[in-house]
Amino acid sequence: MNSSKWIWRIVSMVSIVATVLLLVGFVYAIKDIQHPQAEQTASTAKPQENTGAKSPDAQKEIKIAVIGDSLAKGTGDNSGMGFARRTVAELSKDTGKKVTLLNNLGINGLTTTGLLPKLEERGTQYVLGQADIILLSIGGNDLFQGADLAAKGISGTSSTATGQEMDPKDLLKGLPKASTQLKAILERLRALNPDAWIVYVGLYNPFGDIEDLKIPGNQAVSSWNQTALETINKYSSMTLVPTFDLFQHNLDKYLSTDHFHPNGDGYQQIAERIAQGIR
Amino acid sequence: MISLLPLIKNETIKIIKKKRFYVILLILLVLVPIFTYAQMRSAERTREKFHGDWRLEVQQQITDNENSLGSDRVPDEWKKFRKIFVQQLQYYLDHDVNPNEPNGVTFTREFMSNSITLFIPLLIMAIASDIVSGERTTGTIKMLLTRPVKRWKVLLSKLVTLFMFTSLIVVSAFVITYVISGAVFGYKGFNLPVFTGFQITGSDVDLAAVHGVPQWKYLLMQGGLVWFVSLTVASLAFMVSVLVRSTAASIVVMMAALIAGTILTNMASAWNSAKYLFMVNLELTDYLSGTPAPIEGMNLTFSLAVLSIWALAGLIISFLVFTKRDILN
Repeated sequence: MNSSKWIWRIVSMVSIVATVLLLVGFVYAIKDIQHPQAEQTASTAKPQENTGAKSPDAQKEIKIAVIGDSLAKGTGDNSGMGFARRTVAELSKDTGKKVTLLNNLGINGLTTTGLLPKLEERGTQYVLGQADIILLSIGGNDLFQGADLAAKGISGTSSTATGQEMDPKDLLKGLPKASTQLKAILERLRALNPDAWIVYVGLYNPFGDIEDLKIPGNQAVSSWNQTALETINKYSSMTLVPTFDLFQHNLDKYLSTDHFHPNGDGYQQIAERIAQGIR
Repeated sequence: MISLLPLIKNETIKIIKKKRFYVILLILLVLVPIFTYAQMRSAERTREKFHGDWRLEVQQQITDNENSLGSDRVPDEWKKFRKIFVQQLQYYLDHDVNPNEPNGVTFTREFMSNSITLFIPLLIMAIASDIVSGERTTGTIKMLLTRPVKRWKVLLSKLVTLFMFTSLIVVSAFVITYVISGAVFGYKGFNLPVFTGFQITGSDVDLAAVHGVPQWKYLLMQGGLVWFVSLTVASLAFMVSVLVRSTAASIVVMMAALIAGTILTNMASAWNSAKYLFMVNLELTDYLSGTPAPIEGMNLTFSLAVLSIWALAGLIISFLVFTKRDILN
């Protein structure tokens, strides 16, 4: 039969070609996986194009980038908005412009030591370079040695246990190094994006209601905020948004159940302050 | 030798005439648009969220994964996966290459690496599971064996035909996926670099040997690996087809094995000897993309060896059984 002849011819030819092609691919794959050879990729040298962030049109839109620790991420806020998205909402309400959140780069438990190398990453630099406003929250973990430890301290049965977990004297010990690093971070941010408005969210003392930690905590936090201000005051478009007073006597109202991070209302208060400072 | 080629020809014509191959093409033609549409919708949504800027998207992906690294609720193996994933994404960002550039070629690449364990084997089985047991169900095997041809030649002609169609299926899957998804995402992207050569040691990635491969070459290599996996699945389905009398039973057996494989890869990291099962070793493309293997101690050579041994054993058993057993009733 004639059609059978054609079926056979076509199918056999095509399948032989297909088999040879796939066999070649297979050999390539084996070679590439077993003996990978690094080569200079030409694309590395390509300069990062500026996508017209500073064009007049962009003025209609405010771009916000958020970087820092769990506060930046919004941990403790049940709605997941954090001060980042709440600030976006506040600002668009106030200014009537389109406000967009570029990225929220907040990472739980990040310290100044962890943030510094992040600023050298290309992706981070790209995001920060695009932003009109950079919100920064860092230092809480340097000072209080991580929220984990704080949570342990709180769940401890007696106040002496808390004292063992976190020696009040230790609070002040790490201060000099951390505040130098904070200074480096702020300066690096300024260098990465000379035009953006940089907002640093000041620290509060989450342990204001624990007898042993109240006074040293307050001291540590205020001297931290003071050193932050020393750097911030040197630059024109940089501000510190204070939160210390906000939380000082309202811990039960504004802290979430982990007793370290703000809750939704707390973040809302911070966001409103940020928006006020920018206007 | 005289009688083998006509036999293969006969088998080929049977498969085409029985419309088995058309069914496979039809499945591809129906399913690929569905996947393409789903992909298009999700791409649209992320583009909206990140204002069409892929760097923001990748950076957010990195941050999200880094955040989950700190959580105690995430199992350690996942953390290892994510740590490696973060380092790879970082590499793409550093070299200014979009890992998810939306185009037909990228879609084909992603689709193929996702379908290597289940979808492609399923298509292969549509032919392989039927090739011997189908003849027994209909009784035509008697006609075939009463002719003055050695039994092993009959079986070999079926095997060769099966392998021919395996190649055809793999290539048509690539072509159909590319043509359909290209209509939506564009046909460009053959020269975009894909990074390969990530050497994984523990939870760290050695970037010394990483190099960019143009996407067309990556697709070719991927095709080769998919093809090898398909040949293994074809051989095993072939064996089952010889052993089991009905086509339905034969498909069920193979399907069960494959599904067991996907379940095992998700949870077998504690059970080390599971790595000797063929269905755990199907994801060969992972070695290309640098995704860590599901079980400690697996690498390309190991997986290839396991697959080859299973396939060879399957073929040996089928030939022994077919030539020795009383097939006719």
